[in-house]
Amino acid sequence: MARPHIEPFCDRDVAFKKMSLAGFGNGMHYKMLSFDPDTGACSMSVQLDNGYRRAPGFSWSEVEMMVIEGELTVGGRTCRKGHYFYVPAGYALPEISTQDGCLLLFLTNTGEPSHQESDSHHALAQTDLYHDVDSYMDIPWALGNVTKPSVANGCLIKLLNFNPISQAMTFLYCMTPNFSQDNISYHDCAEESYHLWGTSWMMQFGNLPTGGYFWRPAYINHGAFASEFGCIALGRVDSKLFNHFHYNPWTTPQENRERSAARLYKRDPLLYRWAVSQNHNHPHSPQDFEDTMSRRGAEQGHDNEHKTDGSRHDHWHGHNHYDDGSAYKH
Amino acid sequence: MTFKHTSIEHTRNAKEEEWIAEEAAEQELRFKNIQQAMKDLSTQREKWYQEFFDRISTRGFNEDGDQKIQIAPEDLPTKPEGREDQVVWRCGADDE
Repeated sequence: MARPHIEPFCDRDVAFKKMSLAGFGNGMHYKMLSFDPDTGACSMSVQLDNGYRRAPGFSWSEVEMMVIEGELTVGGRTCRKGHYFYVPAGYALPEISTQDGCLLLFLTNTGEPSHQESDSHHALAQTDLYHDVDSYMDIPWALGNVTKPSVANGCLIKLLNFNPISQAMTFLYCMTPNFSQDNISYHDCAEESYHLWGTSWMMQFGNLPTGGYFWRPAYINHGAFASEFGCIALGRVDSKLFNHFHYNPWTTPQENRERSAARLYKRDPLLYRWAVSQNHNHPHSPQDFEDTMSRRGAEQGHDNEHKTDGSRHDHWHGHNHYDDGSAYKH
Repeated sequence: MTFKHTSIEHTRNAKEEEWIAEEAAEQELRFKNIQQAMKDLSTQREKWYQEFFDRISTRGFNEDGDQKIQIAPEDLPTKPEGREDQVVWRCGADDE
């Protein structure tokens, strides 16, 4: 079973627990927001006590972190409220510490929280994916119309992380005071949010205050939306975000999913018919030839004879053409 | 469903397995509390639904961004007979 629907939940209603997993040391406490019992992946609000230190090392799962309050020192650099980190699996962070304590949002995507002490990255770490940013100071707010149909004006975003394959996103969003949007929405993806500050309202769930949280599986109705005094939150989706808007509050997730498929059928009928036909009942997923096609590899030079600048091919390409039947004899 | 990103395979130890079992049990309780709280909100929610219908048939329904259309009262939906109002779904569309 994946993460269940947790909505609404407010971390202010529960107490911190001591982190007992090895590697995190003393002085780390957490409130569990949502949890995948299969993989151990989870979202937690975390309190680090004053004087907390964690040795350099990496996680087996990728991790996302956001400083909610206080200051976190990462390898000698001071990171303040709003600082966001995307840390790939196996990427060794330097020592982290906090002099006066801090609050973090701590998200693991593919496994339970783990910390393997190490001064160097794991051999499989995709180190080039690492990035961090002071999201409050160094990214401007942009219109929330990252997808169409779009949210109403007054819902703004700052994109923090984007997966170009799945189109999963992590982003800050805010609602301006007196924001309202009168529709009901659902998505083809799971959605998660943690309220860093402020209160928003949804017609199904009521008010979500500071510390409010949801993990919502795909196809679940949410909205209409409003925020009287405004709010700022960290949001995530696990694949492409599309807003299916409607105004029937009594539909079920199954009906919503069927409507998504019906809309796909209306928009891309040829692809839809092919995908659902029994002749193409792939057990895993359709094959993307770009993932499997034969490539040249490291062999040098055996490219087109004719170059785009009109010149002829320069004949050293690392092998000869004396093979029988070859058109080339050189 | 999890976020489709990277991970590196490793073997969990007994302590980690125990932690996962404890968190799973606590989440079960958290889910049941939320389910009950949302059932308790159903009378209030019914009023919110009616107010929503009033707004989208007068001020308008947000079709795309701030673009609004008024929904004709005769086009407003009715609650399917015998259907309980439900807003929390453990596994979304995969609920049994």
